[in-house]
Amino acid sequence: MVIVPATTGQMGVLPGHVATIAELKPGVLSVHEGNETTKYFVSSGFVFIHANSFADIIAVEAVPLDQIDANLVQKGLVEFTQKLSSATTDLEKAEAQIGIDVHSALNSALTG
Amino acid sequence: MASNAAVPFWRAAGMTYITYSNICANLVRNCLKEPYKTEALTREKVHFSISKWTDGKPEKPTIRSDSPED
Repeated sequence: MVIVPATTGQMGVLPGHVATIAELKPGVLSVHEGNETTKYFVSSGFVFIHANSFADIIAVEAVPLDQIDANLVQKGLVEFTQKLSSATTDLEKAEAQIGIDVHSALNSALTG
Repeated sequence: MASNAAVPFWRAAGMTYITYSNICANLVRNCLKEPYKTEALTREKVHFSISKWTDGKPEKPTIRSDSPED
């Protein structure tokens, strides 16, 4: 079974899942095989679940959780929270909000 | 027919999906441990050549090479 971080929430995918295309938000992708679980952090992207029980994950960046540096995540979270409060244009606010979303997701991936 | 999901905040601010996705990827790359971080920064590099076409003929191409600091 695979759990993917869809924008609509965590989605569990088992063989026989109905064919679906879902947009992913920054978050943890976990692959459960027997008793083993492998976790990756995906930056964003899509999951294509095909009718023949194959699923494709399309992401620009997908990293194993142990490659993430917790200090950099904390620093980034603080930096973007600060940027949001000093942002003026819509675009700056959106960029700061993206920074906060990604860093909070990284943070919960490391602590969850 | 009403849409069943609100427009995401980045699209409401005028950003396209590809811009959003690339920003997310850059943020994740910047939070990696070494040596993964240096490998990731090489993935950000782009190197391409552009030529404008006028009257069915290409003009002189320019080479664009971005460094990862954008």
